[in-house]
Amino acid sequence: MPLWIAVLVLAALVVATAGGGWALRRRESRPRQGASASSEGWDPGVHGERATLVQFSTELCARCPQVRRMLHALADETDGVALAEVDLTHRRELAARLHILQTPTVFVLDASGAVRSRFAGVPRRNAVAAELDRVIGEPTHV
Amino acid sequence: MSDVPVGIDPRGPRFGAAITSVLLLVVVLLALTVLPLTPIAARILDPAFLLLLVVALLFLWAVLSPRTAPWGALYRRLVQPRLAPPAEREDPRPPRFAQGVGLLVSVIGLVLQLAGVPWGLPIAAAAAFVAAFLNAVFGLCLGCQLYLLLQRLGLVGRHAAA
Repeated sequence: MPLWIAVLVLAALVVATAGGGWALRRRESRPRQGASASSEGWDPGVHGERATLVQFSTELCARCPQVRRMLHALADETDGVALAEVDLTHRRELAARLHILQTPTVFVLDASGAVRSRFAGVPRRNAVAAELDRVIGEPTHV
Repeated sequence: MSDVPVGIDPRGPRFGAAITSVLLLVVVLLALTVLPLTPIAARILDPAFLLLLVVALLFLWAVLSPRTAPWGALYRRLVQPRLAPPAEREDPRPPRFAQGVGLLVSVIGLVLQLAGVPWGLPIAAAAAFVAAFLNAVFGLCLGCQLYLLLQRLGLVGRHAAA
């Protein structure tokens, strides 16, 4: 292959990777809203008065500590919001049941403990705050 | 429960990933420009093969002894003293696991080259480049994300390897 074509291929590879990475990072701050039937009857063990943030991590999760720190600060600053942490390292049946494919994953639960939305990856702080506001602002009527 | 090792500066692995991604990019360039020849000796002496072999050995080093691996040592000697202390430390096991994934992908590329499979080496090197580049630039760790998936499949974790 001539050098200039190889260089073009490389440039395309770098641009595609950068674009893909940028899209992945953006998607991490987009919550998937709505309850999932599979989470019914599951109890994180901690309940906030108005909402609960649940962080799922594993032993081998490089980006979990930064999310934990951010959620801690957010839960401390918001009235009636508690933070639960679930380590999935030894609980792969729970990961399967809740359809968790990666860590960190963050669930936002409403006052009744129902899962209202989830973030897969490292969400931006304001994205989680906005989701909390939404869940606290409009409680479910089941 | 398990003894958690001393935390490392999370910027170290990203620094190493930046160097690794440049090396892998050169591997892909060499593989695309230098035509692999048919005799097996020529396939081994192909510069792309030799450089990918070096990268694979560096991955192996980082898996076996992360504390002495060259890029980490370089980071601690030259870069870290010039930066502010890290805001947080991280568990050294995820990056180590990811180095193992990089090693696996590189070895696949080397084996395909030895077997004479066309495009095998550049495609494997490109895949490893994507992972290293995403880690260096965006802090995404594909190897680490694989961990939970593999664990759900029962391939890694407590049952398989300690």
